[in-house]
Amino acid sequence: MGISDVIPVPVAIDEELEKWTIFGQPVADVWFTTTEKIHQIIEMGPIKNIFNWGRKNSVYFLMQPMGCCGVEMFVFGAAPYDSDRFGCIPRNTPRQTDVMIMSGYITRKYLPVFKNLWEQMPEPKWCIAIGECAISGGPFYDSYNIIQNTADYFPIDVFIPGCPPRPEQFLEGLMQLQEKIKQRKDKRGYY
Amino acid sequence: MTTASEVLSSLQSAFPGAIKDPRVESDARLWATVDPKRIYDVCKYLTDKLNFDHYSGSAGVDWIANNEMEVVEIMASHGAHPVVAMLKVRTPRDNPSIKSLTGLYWNADWYEREIWEMFGINFENHSGLYPLLLSDELMGVWPWRKDFKGYPDLTTGQRAVALPTANGYTEFRIPPTPAEIEAGTVPKERPKYPSFREREEAEIKSDSEMIMHLGPQHAMVPGPFLLDILVEGERVRKGFLDVGYIHKGIEKIMENRTWLQGITYTDRMCYVASLSNNECYCGAVEKILGLEVPERAQYIRVIVEELSRIQSHLIGTGEFLTLIAGVGYAPWQYMIIDREHVISLIESVTGARLTHSFVRFGGVRNDLPDDFAEKCKITLPYIKSRINEFIELFAQDPIYDLRMKDVGVLPAETAKEVGIAGPALRASGVSYDMRVEDPILVYPDLDFKVITGTKGDCADRIDVRLREILESIYIIEQCLDRIPSGPIKPEAKVPKKVPAGEAYYRVEDPRGEMGMYVISDGGDKPYRVKVRGPFYATLQTLPPLLEGVYVADVVAIAGSMDGCPSEADR
Ligand code: SF4
Repeated sequence: MGISDVIPVPVAIDEELEKWTIFGQPVADVWFTTTEKIHQIIEMGPIKNIFNWGRKNSVYFLMQPMGCCGVEMFVFGAAPYDSDRFGCIPRNTPRQTDVMIMSGYITRKYLPVFKNLWEQMPEPKWCIAIGECAISGGPFYDSYNIIQNTADYFPIDVFIPGCPPRPEQFLEGLMQLQEKIKQRKDKRGYY
Repeated sequence: MTTASEVLSSLQSAFPGAIKDPRVESDARLWATVDPKRIYDVCKYLTDKLNFDHYSGSAGVDWIANNEMEVVEIMASHGAHPVVAMLKVRTPRDNPSIKSLTGLYWNADWYEREIWEMFGINFENHSGLYPLLLSDELMGVWPWRKDFKGYPDLTTGQRAVALPTANGYTEFRIPPTPAEIEAGTVPKERPKYPSFREREEAEIKSDSEMIMHLGPQHAMVPGPFLLDILVEGERVRKGFLDVGYIHKGIEKIMENRTWLQGITYTDRMCYVASLSNNECYCGAVEKILGLEVPERAQYIRVIVEELSRIQSHLIGTGEFLTLIAGVGYAPWQYMIIDREHVISLIESVTGARLTHSFVRFGGVRNDLPDDFAEKCKITLPYIKSRINEFIELFAQDPIYDLRMKDVGVLPAETAKEVGIAGPALRASGVSYDMRVEDPILVYPDLDFKVITGTKGDCADRIDVRLREILESIYIIEQCLDRIPSGPIKPEAKVPKKVPAGEAYYRVEDPRGEMGMYVISDGGDKPYRVKVRGPFYATLQTLPPLLEGVYVADVVAIAGSMDGCPSEADR
């Protein structure tokens, strides 16, 4: 497919353009490319560091309290602990978020909903498990309704133990995640 | 004033032979076993003749040794007298079935559905026995029965798997393991009923109606629940609730923990009001043990519980303001900043921010720190000035007025009938507060008012909450003035085993009347703990309250109830 199929340009320019390259690839390929292609191209150059720097500093999290730890998440996102300082702002819809904070127990009934929320989040995305419940079932380890293998479903980058962890621990966990993103050691990021 | 023994004699004369093993525990508690055939009539008599107009819940108990199931109906009155009647109905264990009380009390619906799904007790004449808290795959397992197989060995370490469905989606469920199938945990036959989705879709009558989902994920409610509304244009025609998204089975787990370990689970029931839950459980156990709480410990308990009420109301109001203001987080930030001051006060006493486990059987864990009174002298006036500021702000704001006044009005009569609890009930003008009705600790010596509203609209509910904070501050100030020195724990060691017995204890949770019904069989673990949560009662009233309102008011009404779904789900 040439550019002139999409945008009305003189045929001569179209032919000219097809000879151009960027990072060793034909421009036309790059022009009509998929997100995946863009990712590949970005990965080739030092620009990925800039991308990661940007991502690390704008990790919006999903306000999604689902347990006692959720109340601490409220406080973490509000003025007293002020996660905004680290570019971590609470959002109400999964479509605007980068980080899923798993803030409590996942029950049989909630797992499909939770998975759904996770899948609605745009890539790249990260997951933080907060509290004993999200990590391993916590005090409810023998309940008939709590699932314990959360790590099988979600690529959890940071585990924050505690019941509930203090908001300061939330901040520490967030900074760990940022460090991981920066060093490209996170499970879910691309670059 | 009516007392328990008067109620009993009146019942015995009206229903000769139907009342067995009566026990008058005190002026305010009556225990009796009622003939299953007469339970409906007995309750009707209590309601019509003896002012028992508050159906406070019911509890299922599995007496496996006697091969019997029991349902305990908890009946009280909205302020006419302080008697709580605990009426037990027994039914054989194979094929258990008793009469439903839904014809008498509107709010019996959820309590009976819960007992049905947990114990498998059938309720005759109940119009819709659908699961409430459990997911479909657990139906028919009857998890709260004592012979629920596989608990706790097989339920520990449950692993969910993803299974593709026929229509291309993926399902996540916990499949039965071979061990479970062998142990017989998986029921061979399951009850049949239409699913939640089918039930709500059956209500769609015309093309102009549609269903809107609110939830299960809410940004500003501390826990998930699903509120579906059937809308026709701008109006809500019907509301549907699906709860149980964070049902943890606390009542079952507590049966498998020692008495002391149980305290930590009460923390996690409603984590915004953990101290009241601690108090409720410990109070019930103290009643069975016959423990006296030293006076200093009583004062300390009152102080921390009132502090806990302040922080709970602050977070509740903040959530509500965020819900109605949409994008603006400003009021929320202010309330959370103020709440942090209270939290740090509580933390200086209990050592924890949310999950305190501070109240112990017969006392408290530790004494107040030395500088506590001074800290209070700084913090409390500050909170007071802030609350006055908020009240003034809301009174002046014309937009708040438009949005809140005459929205979600709940008249006093209806409020009593539907069994709504706490500030939402008091906003309708019903003066019903456990601190006055069923006084515990040193509350009778303290001077405080029960705050009531007039109309019962959203503005009233918020106003009642804010003024209750001022009242709590007043209570704490009195306590700090009067607190005596002395021990904070009982002198003798609290025994590990609690003698056989039962008790029902009520406290005023920030969300309303919370009751715990604790049964001991003489062992080192509870035989049964039943929690009657206030938000459970309040949540149930949401769908009728939403009928006919504008879509935009739905969040305002639901938010003004100050939700804590975790306590409803337990
Ligand atoms: S880890 Fe503890 S505080 Fe957090 S959700 Fe679980 S029980 Fe609640």
